[in-house]
Amino acid sequence: MDPLEVEFLAEKETVKIIPNFSLDKIYLIGGDLGPFNPGLPVDVPVWLALNLKQRQKCRIVPPEWMDVDKLEETRDLERKEDTFTPAPSPYYMELTKLLLNHASDNIPKADEIRTLVKDIWDTRIAKLRLSADSFISQQEAHAQLDNLTLMEINTIRTFLLDSLNCMYKLRSNLQPASSKGQYADF
Amino acid sequence: MSDAVSDGGSDASHDDGQEDVMTPAELIAKLEEAWLNERFSPELLENRSEVVECVMEQLTHMEENLQRVKKGDAKASIHRMEIDRIRFVLSSYLRSRLQKIEKFFPHVLEREKSRGEGDPSLLSPEEFAFAKEYHTNTESYLKAVALKRMPPNLQAVDLLKTVPEPCLDSFVFLRVKERQENILVEPETDDQREYVVDLEEGSQHLMRYRTISLLVSSGAVQLI
Amino acid sequence: METQSYFPVPPGVAVEENFLSLDDILLTHERLPVRTECAFPRLGFLDKSTDTQDISEGTKMELPLWLSKALYERKRRVLSVELPKVYREGWRTVFNADPNVVDLHKMGPYYYSLGSQLLHFDSPENPDIAQTLLQTFIGRFRRTMDSSQNAYNEDTSALVQRLDSLEKVLFRSGQSGLNDFQSWEKGRAAQLTASTLVLNYRKRKLAEVQP
Repeated sequence: MDPLEVEFLAEKETVKIIPNFSLDKIYLIGGDLGPFNPGLPVDVPVWLALNLKQRQKCRIVPPEWMDVDKLEETRDLERKEDTFTPAPSPYYMELTKLLLNHASDNIPKADEIRTLVKDIWDTRIAKLRLSADSFISQQEAHAQLDNLTLMEINTIRTFLLDSLNCMYKLRSNLQPASSKGQYADF
Repeated sequence: MSDAVSDGGSDASHDDGQEDVMTPAELIAKLEEAWLNERFSPELLENRSEVVECVMEQLTHMEENLQRVKKGDAKASIHRMEIDRIRFVLSSYLRSRLQKIEKFFPHVLEREKSRGEGDPSLLSPEEFAFAKEYHTNTESYLKAVALKRMPPNLQAVDLLKTVPEPCLDSFVFLRVKERQENILVEPETDDQREYVVDLEEGSQHLMRYRTISLLVSSGAVQLI
Repeated sequence: METQSYFPVPPGVAVEENFLSLDDILLTHERLPVRTECAFPRLGFLDKSTDTQDISEGTKMELPLWLSKALYERKRRVLSVELPKVYREGWRTVFNADPNVVDLHKMGPYYYSLGSQLLHFDSPENPDIAQTLLQTFIGRFRRTMDSSQNAYNEDTSALVQRLDSLEKVLFRSGQSGLNDFQSWEKGRAAQLTASTLVLNYRKRKLAEVQP
């Protein structure tokens, strides 16, 4: 999957905005939004928040986890633990990029947040590689990966799945030829 | 629409009975599920034309309404953005099905041929027509560029044998939507033993598609 | 005799099998050392080293995989296939000791695929060959992955040169996963670029216009 498609999915997450305009409730196919009143916080999907922000129609309230103290804690825990700790948000990487690129003036300590999230990402990706290697070398049949986010899975997906397929084929060589009917067919 | 739903009625695991009382929001969620499942499953999944048709209806209806709205209306631009997003998912879903049909066409058509009466069809009528045409075109192309120049006894090509089948032993990533007990995990090597796992709601796993393919079609797990 | 004009070479140990796969076709052209077990009348043209019309029993020569496979029969011994040296016991010992030291491009480049194909020919060593192929792949996986992800920001070109063709495909898929992510992260992905097809088409049109 293209990272932009993962980002597309992340844009469905809701975020709080403070609009500077008024508008009645909107009945979208995917659900109702609003009403919008100047100065009153309201929940909207990220795709709309970014659009309104670009048109200078709102201020975006950063999600709770997008906070230097909280992220420092997450980073330290992530570095300490061998396993994956729960991610700050299932879309932490995408939301950080989207909100910091389009609304950094609404997010306190934006640069520090960017660095922290990148540190968390790097630590997690290093763990992901370690687990991929051990999954292959132990020839495991099943792994539980509750805390992995879609973007993390997506960066290794094709490579890992292709490798597992190759390994599967090499392993099927070990079966005696009789059970491999296709050999005889051709 | 009602016909399409009753087509799938033989499969008890489908929640088709609910389909006609689905809210538009639930409908869009269904489309997105179908989209991701189709993107990540190694084989072509059963068509969800009832969902596609309902979404199309919703979009057409919304677009008709928007034509009556004045230019520059703040609400209209938000509606248009939503329509674009839904259209993107819809076309990506249909396109990924076409890609799989192109990749596996002889097998897809074979399965369609051997389908028992009353069994749900893998393909929508339009996809079926596409698959048949693709098959004919591939055959006549191979004939025109190469086969007709071969000795007469070597001019036949059995596409069922030459085009690889989908590999159901591929691994997939999935998220559990409804808890499942005692899923049997087959051993990978001779010195491993088979074992069972429980799939807790909300948990994520990496395992062979073959093990959970039925859970994908019943909607109990979501490929990610 | 089969009446198929295309003989796929199963089990294509490749990432993407396709009935017109170029890798598959190249693989079937790999040459194997064989020994004839009976006389081949009027087939002298197959053996480039002599001008004789027939090939006599016991001739040692090289034949491409596709031909060896077509001529080989388990029941009637027409020819026997010798193992290329990289699959023999000596090399298997090297692989089992440390698979990472071997230049699989030089020794291959279809080490895994050709090795899998060799199992088609009966040999008491087959189980050992199959086991070595699998263990070699597993043993080299970490290196393939790390180089594709350029985990240590080192120059990987020397490493890549030593990969087998299958590993190279995996290397590329790992790299494109990483590159896609990095260009997304930098925001480059959002810019549409003209496809090379369109660019080439424009060039062609220009070329046609110019006298």
